[in-house]
Amino acid sequence: MGRVTRGYWLAGAMLLLGGAVVTRAQAPDRHVWTGVYTREQAERGKTAYAENCAACHGETLAGIDVAPALVGPNFLNNWNNTSAGDLFARIQSTMPLNAPGSLGGRKVADIEAYMFEANGFPAGDLALPPNAALMPNVRIVAQKPEPAAAGPACTCGK
Amino acid sequence: MLRMTRRRLLGGTVAVAATIGTVPVRRAMAQELPGGPDTEWRHYAADQANSRYSPLDQINAGNFSDLQVAWSFKTDILGARKEYQFEPTPLLVKGRLFLTAGSRRDCVAIDAATGELLWMFRKDEGQRALNSPRQLSGHGCSYWTDGKLERILFVTIGYQLVSLDAATGVPDPAFGMDGVVDLKKDFDQELDPETADVGLHATPLVARDVVVVGAAHAAGDVPAVRRNVKGYVRGFDVRTGKRKWIFHTIPKKGEYGYDSWLNGDADEAGNGGVWAEMSADEELGLVYVPVELPTGDEMGMFRRGNALFGESLVALDLETGERRWHYQLVHHGLWDRDIPCAPMLCDIPVNGRTVKALAQPTKQCFLYVLDRTNGKPIWPIVERPVEAGDVPGEWYARTQPFPTKPPAYDVQGVGIDDLIDFTPELRAQAVELVKQYKIGPLYTPPVVSRPGRWGTISAPGIQGGTNWPGGCYDPESHTVFVYSKTQPSVIGIIPNEDQGVSEFPQVHGIAGAEVQSQVAMGAEAPNPFRRPPAARPGSGPPPGFLSVQGLPLLKPPYGRITAIDLRKGDLKWQVAHGETPDNVRNHPALKGLKIPRTGRAGNLGPLCTRTLVICGEAGFYTNEYGIRGAMLRAYDKATGEEKGAVYMPAPQSGSPMTYMLNNRQYIVVAIGGGNYSAELVAFRLPGIA
Repeated sequence: MGRVTRGYWLAGAMLLLGGAVVTRAQAPDRHVWTGVYTREQAERGKTAYAENCAACHGETLAGIDVAPALVGPNFLNNWNNTSAGDLFARIQSTMPLNAPGSLGGRKVADIEAYMFEANGFPAGDLALPPNAALMPNVRIVAQKPEPAAAGPACTCGK
Repeated sequence: MLRMTRRRLLGGTVAVAATIGTVPVRRAMAQELPGGPDTEWRHYAADQANSRYSPLDQINAGNFSDLQVAWSFKTDILGARKEYQFEPTPLLVKGRLFLTAGSRRDCVAIDAATGELLWMFRKDEGQRALNSPRQLSGHGCSYWTDGKLERILFVTIGYQLVSLDAATGVPDPAFGMDGVVDLKKDFDQELDPETADVGLHATPLVARDVVVVGAAHAAGDVPAVRRNVKGYVRGFDVRTGKRKWIFHTIPKKGEYGYDSWLNGDADEAGNGGVWAEMSADEELGLVYVPVELPTGDEMGMFRRGNALFGESLVALDLETGERRWHYQLVHHGLWDRDIPCAPMLCDIPVNGRTVKALAQPTKQCFLYVLDRTNGKPIWPIVERPVEAGDVPGEWYARTQPFPTKPPAYDVQGVGIDDLIDFTPELRAQAVELVKQYKIGPLYTPPVVSRPGRWGTISAPGIQGGTNWPGGCYDPESHTVFVYSKTQPSVIGIIPNEDQGVSEFPQVHGIAGAEVQSQVAMGAEAPNPFRRPPAARPGSGPPPGFLSVQGLPLLKPPYGRITAIDLRKGDLKWQVAHGETPDNVRNHPALKGLKIPRTGRAGNLGPLCTRTLVICGEAGFYTNEYGIRGAMLRAYDKATGEEKGAVYMPAPQSGSPMTYMLNNRQYIVVAIGGGNYSAELVAFRLPGIA
């Protein structure tokens, strides 16, 4: 299936979900298993995470009493079938709790890249953009799609 | 057939009546849905006993799946930004819902029939709020009336107790200073009002004419300081805000319990707060106070001894704050087993007589059942020897109390039989993984983390099986219903030499990773330019990551609801609560396997009605239509059989409540999380409004 075809497939799906997102449908479909951040970005993100996030979410991203884990099945299931843009927006608007809104877009993207790396998603050539509007088409897919279904694998229930 | 015909007839009647006027319409609806007098919900969990029970039955097994959204209330406009962790349960008094909401924890009144905003109270506390260890909306507010005056009380993010006129939302000028009591003052310790590490999510407890307020602090896995704020509990006069009493959860020299600390450690230790909800028996004049650990969630080297009242349930005199009895659930805890929720007060039959008892759910998934007049166990609780660990400078309790009844309601400790076993390959990988850790029964001690033995796998994990929402209690069948999750944690202890990170020489962590101090949020970090964590060795799951091929290490259920019969002290039924997570349903290694519903892990409080146990799911899943969301489910309370479910766009984040208003039963629940911002949703059955 070519990229254009996939775009139409996505457009169809988006139409079913609501008209508000239709304008995004022309963007190429991507997901987190296709390499949506760079290794250098995740490396920077590791530092930014340590400075801004680890005090609550733990240095292993495992979470503590009052802050959830940012790695592992629970986290991934909770964000499955959302977009990298959704996660970016949530981080930027609400974190860190004691200074929400204080992190610049580049830093948020770096931190998100580090979270992706920690969750086992592969690095690629293109960095995560510093703006949620540039990644509504980057889907978070908890389970790596099987090779045959590479692309916009449907992770709907069976 | 007869019923169908009657419905059709009624439908016709409604259509005709609607053209005439509303009164006949109401009558028609009343025939469809037997209503009843309006009911109320005056406390966080229905009543001071924390039962979260209502005898209503208009919504029942036969019609639950027909529930519709009556109204919903987004909290996005409250506070400077959206909230995604919306934990309150509203109160219902005279047709008005009262709750805290939004990222600034505003207090609001809502029309319970329509969801319209009646009033909103906002207190901008600036940096003081940003410094608080307990952010966002909290668990809600409390109500008091003398039959004439009506007050709504809540604790702000910045730890101030506010009293509002329930009719208008205007602060009561007779209370404190212009309606506000600064809880960082008159606290038997000197605190910086801007930066002190204290806040509270719980609602203040109102009983008789006393408001009882607890305290919460930053998590203590890597405590920044040894001498943290002491989490004393206080009682205030509900009319004036004047402090009536204080109870030292960490006793001062000469006070009861001081001698349970070695070397005078109590003098310096902090924390020991009461961050959970509380319950009260006005007749006995007692308030039941669940206490957390003193400073150090997994390290006890500065709180040697059994250290009362750490992880103890304490009964205090409502009028004086004097201790009447206490029961320590864990001696010198090293597993972060803070008592997380209020005990449910229950009058249960024991040997032919009715005993005033209480039932305390816990993180460790024992339900402790005590006589609430004197703290004596209903069924024997026995001291059993437990293992000591190897952490330098640590002090270990030799025994821990184990209830003989009821049995534990979730997995305790980790053995090979508890490991994932969907396939022999997954089991084999899990067995290999746990060789890298210490495993054992409940109360296996945390150990020094080193490569190849990264720490102790603790089940339940440090977030507990049960956490802050607590359970519910059915007074008709003397049954407790409680949700718990099966989600282990790794507790490793690593040395720390950097006083700028922590004043503790040993802290919770994984060997090879740098430690990060936990400071009061917003307080200046002791060392802002910390080094990043060390690279993760190897290519497998990083140390501390308990998963096999991305699947949870332990067998399902991952989340469950248990019914516990207090007439016998037995488990009555147990169900996996929550649809199977996406990654389990779609996992290639599980293709072709028929896996029963696994439930999902989170923090949930169930609601009990005349016939049902009602609870929303934790976390999102993607349903058969490809839509993200969570279900609100109803179980037959006698058998646990699922009777219905309705879709919600986001998981339950605050425990549900219910009420009858104008002959319609409503179920109201707070939802949100992930990419879905906070929303209060009201469900009711179809019918003409």
